[in-house]
Amino acid sequence: MIKIIKILFNKHSHKMNHNTCRQIRSWLTKVLSKSFNADAEWVQRHVMHCPRCQRRLAGIGKVKLALSMAKSQPHQLDLLMRANTQAIGVLKHSLRKMPKAEKLRTAVPEPKLSERCSKYNRPVTNVAACIAILFLMKVGIFSSANMFQSHGQKALRQYYVSHVGEELTNDIFTT
Amino acid sequence: MFAESVGYELWGELAGLSAMEASQKWILSAMQRHGPELVRMLWRILGNEQDVCDAYQSTFLQLAHYQGRQKPKHVKAYLFRTASNTAISMLRHRAAEKRTLSKATNNAEATQPHVNEIDCKFLAETLRRYVAQLPEHLRDVITLRDLAELSYAEVGRLLGISPATARVYRCKAVQLLAIWMNK
Repeated sequence: MIKIIKILFNKHSHKMNHNTCRQIRSWLTKVLSKSFNADAEWVQRHVMHCPRCQRRLAGIGKVKLALSMAKSQPHQLDLLMRANTQAIGVLKHSLRKMPKAEKLRTAVPEPKLSERCSKYNRPVTNVAACIAILFLMKVGIFSSANMFQSHGQKALRQYYVSHVGEELTNDIFTT
Repeated sequence: MFAESVGYELWGELAGLSAMEASQKWILSAMQRHGPELVRMLWRILGNEQDVCDAYQSTFLQLAHYQGRQKPKHVKAYLFRTASNTAISMLRHRAAEKRTLSKATNNAEATQPHVNEIDCKFLAETLRRYVAQLPEHLRDVITLRDLAELSYAEVGRLLGISPATARVYRCKAVQLLAIWMNK
């Protein structure tokens, strides 16, 4: 909320671009859904004492239940096959004889690719996370090793400079 | 000379016919592409397999005869709206038949289950009956969004409205259905 107010009262608000609008929209949606959700505390407190709202919420619940009932009733697996056969039967003769029509007569409903792949979502995410961690570790280890090497070299050079002199040290380290 | 010109005409007609046949292949492609979704939506609206097959057949028959056998601009929109309208008119017809039958037998109370009873089929049937009574713009949105499970963006595209308007219509439809179902 504070973020939105800051943006709205910003001096340079005329310079707002589409991104700012999008950000405000998403924040507003979040804030509104938090405050005006049916599960919000103040809504629940009101509903407890308001028979009218209770009736309305019960009605909406009933509609949602009925919709989910309608969705959850399964049909026979061969329904698509039968429907296709019946529909192809009224099309032109030339279309009825096509190989595609033959294929449609035996078609069975298949889940979408996204639905089929949904069971692999978790393992794929885990593997991706592991790869990311390994990559970060590798990057971290190598950069640390490089840093360690350069620091070590510096220390050694300093030691030689203090004991054998600058000129000889340069000779040693350039070769 | 005359015979030659007749011959050319015949060839022209034949070529036109074969072109039309070839162009009607898109009906089968549309069936392959949108058939499963259509069947699912029709099943959810109608809840009866024979009615689903009839509505599906009628939809594709209308598609095949659309404006002199031409391909509609938006095949998916045409298919879904036609299927939904056909199913709703079937529901209305079914409800009218039921009313006539119950009047004739005068035994409606005995066949109808108790309202407070949670009966899945009864609840779904009641919803279907009320969905058929909704105004067209609200009905289209609720059938496409909730029964065909399309996204708001897709519903908006199919009906020629914005996704936000589709959301508003859906909300109104649910409120109206809630009032009717609470009666």
